[in-house]
Amino acid sequence: MLPQQINQPLPSGFRLESYRIDHQLSLGGFSIVYLAHDEAGTPVAIKEYLPNALALRTEGSAVPAIGNEHLAAFHHGMKCFFEEGRALAHLNHPNVVRVLNFFRANETVYLVMQYERGRTLQDHIRMHKGRLTEAFVRNVFSRLLNGLREVHTRKMLHLDIKPANIYLRNDGTPVLLDFGAARQTLASDAKTLKPMYTPGFAAPEQFRHRGTLGPGTDIFSIGASMYSCLAGSPPLAADLRLERDRLVPATKRWAGRYSQQLLETIDWCMRLDYSDRPQSVFVLQRALGERPRLTPASRWLGAIRQRLSDFISP
Amino acid sequence: MKFTIYQESRIGKRVSNQDRIAYCYSRDALLMLIADGMGGHLHGELAAHIAVQTIAGSFKREARPALRDPLLFLSRALTHAHQTINDVAANRGLPEAPRTTCIACVVQKSVAYWAHAGDSRLYLLRGQRLLAQTRDHSRVQMMLDQGLIDAADAAAHPARNRVFSCLGGNHAPQIDLSRETPLRTGDIIALCSDGVWAPLGNDLLVHALADANPMLSVPRLLDLAGTRAGENGDNLSLIAMQWDESYAGNTPGNVSTLTMPLDAVTTEIGEAGREHGPSGLSEDDIERTINEIRTAIQKFSD
Repeated sequence: MLPQQINQPLPSGFRLESYRIDHQLSLGGFSIVYLAHDEAGTPVAIKEYLPNALALRTEGSAVPAIGNEHLAAFHHGMKCFFEEGRALAHLNHPNVVRVLNFFRANETVYLVMQYERGRTLQDHIRMHKGRLTEAFVRNVFSRLLNGLREVHTRKMLHLDIKPANIYLRNDGTPVLLDFGAARQTLASDAKTLKPMYTPGFAAPEQFRHRGTLGPGTDIFSIGASMYSCLAGSPPLAADLRLERDRLVPATKRWAGRYSQQLLETIDWCMRLDYSDRPQSVFVLQRALGERPRLTPASRWLGAIRQRLSDFISP
Repeated sequence: MKFTIYQESRIGKRVSNQDRIAYCYSRDALLMLIADGMGGHLHGELAAHIAVQTIAGSFKREARPALRDPLLFLSRALTHAHQTINDVAANRGLPEAPRTTCIACVVQKSVAYWAHAGDSRLYLLRGQRLLAQTRDHSRVQMMLDQGLIDAADAAAHPARNRVFSCLGGNHAPQIDLSRETPLRTGDIIALCSDGVWAPLGNDLLVHALADANPMLSVPRLLDLAGTRAGENGDNLSLIAMQWDESYAGNTPGNVSTLTMPLDAVTTEIGEAGREHGPSGLSEDDIERTINEIRTAIQKFSD
């Protein structure tokens, strides 16, 4: 057994079924994603199941070596990969990444997805630190929620929504990516699947009372993602907030810079108590669709403020 | 199931004992484990404690009385311990997750299985011979494997305590799983922390273990390791177990297994596990699932 197994990606030009590998797009602990082209020359993204700790591909060989002692764990991971394929296969929505094919080769399995041009919301946030507008946030998330609504309608949860998993096409429309954590919530054997989450974006119930997950769990992550659009960085992790909630509410942190209604919606999504959050994507969409408008009270307050400032600096 | 077992953990010359050790058994399965909380990180003993509690807890839940799949059990139990350590660290608001090494071994139906992360070791002895040993997850071991240094260099290397895999912390642990290893009567399995193997070396350790039954050899070895380690001696933990049943003996009708090489037996068990194991995916399962997914893709395409 080698102490450290570093997997070689398939080489550029490699024929994989009817696809030709172009280059590696990303590398994770459980998979490699490639840019490839199909026979018609259409670009696709291919995700290869290749858990680093269990399967080793050395240079010059396409088939990874899997020790007998790792077979059980390798198969367990493959089941999880199947879950992702199954989840995506049942979804055909412009705001959810589309799976095009699923096949077996090189003694492992592959998921072929539509290749989108653009960048992740995470990169976008980094590039525009703190300068994302209210219209941008409302627009991107209202559309993204269309996709998430479809996911929830199919009795599935995403469970790993975060800016890195939200892709912005060049035309600005969002696509929900990476269903590696997605679970069919009705499946009762969820205990055999390892929980995974990203601090800052995962709801408190993903850390603690596992098993009481629902649409509100994804809604928390949506709220946290919107919060990070404003902040330019991930919010305080929910498990730390459970100890002592030191998260500055959006309504406080950005008062006056974004509409009160948007800020309240973000805080609403990020409530620690599951039952305090919007209970469905539809409810949240309605809140996001609302145009900010001046209430009589704020008009009245504005008038007072105006008078006061006139008084102070004549 | 028949065996002789003895375990002991000593503080050495340190201010606290960050090692945790345990063994538990049901009618059909035995679990032994050692976790060595890592110094240099906060709360090493907390990590070791959680690891031992969590893994022993999983064993109690799942060994009824046998484990369905010992290797899968080990892989899951160690991963679960890793996550629990991180959860506890996060819940307590610790600035950094504590870390621990871990070696765990299951014996069931006279077959041994083990898994480890870090530099706590397992030795398997048959007669006077060292049959198997875990490979440390350390940079020094890597250099040794690459032929950059020799055993003497390794024993004196300044970074010999640095490990690259452990339970707890930001990185997912690398957990090495053993082969399914059939045991024979008289085989000895020993688990120990680096406080024991480092001052003794393999030769001395193997000799002393093979020389007497665990009740005698364990205290004797700890005495010796403590003396050799001197003024700065690390925590010392050692579990030794002598197996009193034989895998071959359990299948009296099949004489040929007695004469088969060890490897062949191991491989055959592995194959059986893959084809019929409760957690395994058969070729048919894989083909069926893929077809199901492809059909769904077609059905939901425009």
